Amino acid sequence: MKTKAYSVYILYIWLFLFSFLPLLLVLAVSVLSKDSNKLVTLPLTLSNYAGLFTPVFAKILLRSVLIALLTTGLCLLVAYPFSYFMIKSRHRSLLLLLIIIPFWTSSLIRTYALIAILKYKGLLNALLLKWHIIDAPLSLLYSNFAVISGLVYNLFPFMVLPIVNNMERFDFRLLEAAQDLGASRWAAFTRVFLPGTAAGVLSGCILVFLPAMTLFYIPNVLGGARSILLGNLIQNQFLVLEDWPQGAATSAVLTAILLLLLACYRQQNKGRAR
Amino acid sequence: MKRLGQRFFLGLVLVLLYAPIFILLIYSVNSAKFSLQWQGFSLRWYQELFQDRALWEAFFNSIALGLCASLLATVIGVLTCVNLFISRQKQHALYLLLLLLVIIPDLVLGVSLLIFFNLSQIPLGFFSLLIAHITFCIPFVVLTINARITTMDPNLYFSALDLGASRYLALTRILLPLLWPAVLSAFLLSFTLSFDDVIISYFVAGPDFSILPLAIYSLVRAGVTPELNALCSITFGLSMVLVVISHRLSRKTT
Amino acid sequence: MKKILMLLAGLWMTGCLYAAAVVNVYAWGGEIPREVIQNFETETGIHVNFSTYDSNETLFAKLKASSRPVYDVILPSGYFVERMKNQHMLEKIDHGQLPEVDNIGLAFRNSSFDPGNQYSIPIIWGATGLFYNRANIKNPPYSWRQLWEPRWKGQLMLLDDPREVFSMALLSLGFDPNDTSPAHIKLAYEQLLKLVPNIKLFASDSIQAIIIDEDASIGSAWNGDAMKARAENGNIDFRFPKEGYVIWVDCLAIPKNPPHPKEALAFINFMLKPQSAATIALVEGHAITNVKGKALLPDAIKNNPTVYPSDEVLSRGHFQRDVGEETLVLYNQYWEQFKLTF
Repeated sequence: MKTKAYSVYILYIWLFLFSFLPLLLVLAVSVLSKDSNKLVTLPLTLSNYAGLFTPVFAKILLRSVLIALLTTGLCLLVAYPFSYFMIKSRHRSLLLLLIIIPFWTSSLIRTYALIAILKYKGLLNALLLKWHIIDAPLSLLYSNFAVISGLVYNLFPFMVLPIVNNMERFDFRLLEAAQDLGASRWAAFTRVFLPGTAAGVLSGCILVFLPAMTLFYIPNVLGGARSILLGNLIQNQFLVLEDWPQGAATSAVLTAILLLLLACYRQQNKGRAR
Repeated sequence: MKRLGQRFFLGLVLVLLYAPIFILLIYSVNSAKFSLQWQGFSLRWYQELFQDRALWEAFFNSIALGLCASLLATVIGVLTCVNLFISRQKQHALYLLLLLLVIIPDLVLGVSLLIFFNLSQIPLGFFSLLIAHITFCIPFVVLTINARITTMDPNLYFSALDLGASRYLALTRILLPLLWPAVLSAFLLSFTLSFDDVIISYFVAGPDFSILPLAIYSLVRAGVTPELNALCSITFGLSMVLVVISHRLSRKTT
Repeated sequence: MKKILMLLAGLWMTGCLYAAAVVNVYAWGGEIPREVIQNFETETGIHVNFSTYDSNETLFAKLKASSRPVYDVILPSGYFVERMKNQHMLEKIDHGQLPEVDNIGLAFRNSSFDPGNQYSIPIIWGATGLFYNRANIKNPPYSWRQLWEPRWKGQLMLLDDPREVFSMALLSLGFDPNDTSPAHIKLAYEQLLKLVPNIKLFASDSIQAIIIDEDASIGSAWNGDAMKARAENGNIDFRFPKEGYVIWVDCLAIPKNPPHPKEALAFINFMLKPQSAATIALVEGHAITNVKGKALLPDAIKNNPTVYPSDEVLSRGHFQRDVGEETLVLYNQYWEQFKLTF
């Protein structure tokens, strides 16, 4: 049964032209040198990569990783029970749509709306003062708290969608079986449900962790542009320092680190499947 | 009791998710221009919005771009998934490449495409944006549809062929209806990604095709004018209407 | 048959659109109001493709990265005009084609960054100074140096721009804000490190909202923004620091080989009309270089010392100049290290 898979060829060609080739170009640019007139010029050099083995870059990387981990953790904490309750509910498809709709409104504007909530004279402070929980308004904005709130808020659906997708295919009779066999509810949860939904959880974590590391406008707007994260660094290198080779090198290293993490995950997965 | 707890949690999360949107709605009728404090009710920003031709142009351009990109990405993605499914081949290289696309930070993808367009002399404008948007939507389409198609039984298709249906008929009458929810959600996801994309569009946009996210990004420099809030309120209103309609429609078919 | 007709009609209409005159303008967001653009289109029939950028660096990068010339008119700041001029990125502007060019005030006819305005036409200018909130701040500072006092701990809002922040540090030490000496820049950097505990945030957008809603009560800001803020919060005040301050000028320029050179000149000429300049001043709140336009403004604005300071105050101002590629790299490296201390 031979079918002419034209569309597969189309996809291959498309991906080759518009993702593989451009990425190859980034690698190429990363070994060139900076030129103030033409942006890049010939002497091939590895100095851009060498420039990354500094304590400065390590500090930025560490900070970005920590914030991304916190964001992912918080998203997971809220999204996991949310997904569970959602698939058990009668209004499942409506709830799913309700989560996506805010994203048809510009995320930039919604982030600015978050400012209206978190600022000195904002909604949150007003409510806390009204309910006498605090005496003086809190300075919540321009802090790590604000940045993480913004990131969690913007990346929440990316955690929910894969988890829901995966939870739906979970056979809940396994839980009943476990309990019939004498397991407590907690044991059934940790030994049967959690491992069963692990694939969805991991996809969600990946879809949240990666952008959390590289979004630059949220830390700028909500964090008062005080701390430089990876996204700001790369943007800086391209636009402010106008050092395209350096920016390309940083991007290449970042991608390599993320690929490594992913490879580790797949390796672990394969091991577990055996 | 348990039911109540569940509903409360769901409700709380939804409230938190929609709080900024309601703030938007309120400020769009706030008479203050820059301040974020309530200064009185006014519809002046909606009036200004209707006179702002440039912003409307950007809005409709974004919708057009989003529809084209998501349509094309969905079509390419569906055809590919279906063909792979039928031919039962495993294409590891393809999946790796798609995964690579998902991992690559938007920033890097945007810059790489800019360099590529620069070298290949493709002018920056509608087509460069279209290419970029289709490129970053495709992995999501393929992953979404694949998740669904792998749970299907390929024999449905082959038995249809055995019973005398043409390939086209088997495709449109058997496979597609079964895949329809996945196709729809892939399309919606692509449209969302395309309509709201800032970072990649930032690098590959040209002068004669302005899009909404970039117009907003530059305008917020002077402060988020309530005009932008008004526009976003309208967008939100339209999306809600669409959702209610589609929900009613899907209720009728089931 | 019907489909073919519709396709042909569509093609014909698209052709018409392209045949109509067009000008591609790329400018700062929030500086050219849409009324002015719409008036231009109505008066000349030339359609404007208007895009905006949020920083000079973005403009520069976009121009460098485009393989073919795309924009007809751009609006860079003075020091970027100098930089682009040195790299041969700008067209010479023929003043003979600009009948309205004499409307520009004498002070701006011979800018230090572009003598004779051969490559740029200044239209908007402003200064960076100290803003403060009278209700929250007792004894506001008169000089940059005073910002280093411990009583401002965790309160300052500074502009998110390396040149602006370093200018502030250089001026506080008595140096020129356009200083290129590596030794002086290093001293400025060390001075900035001492300021870190006082800084609350860096901001470059939505500055008015932050000032009006009192999320920051003191810091550096542009005079135009401070004036706009005062309209909604009467406690906002602005001072030109004793040691001196930076003056920036945004100028219209034409990049090399524009696709529509005649329309570009027509656009610039329209911007130079007194009415256009007055509209810019009224809507966006910035100071304009156009003398005739300024005369059209209400007294409350044209005599406002914050937006149009007296000559005595103006003499303390320094125009922002290009510092050369190597110094720029130095500034940016120090800036990155500075931001990392937070």
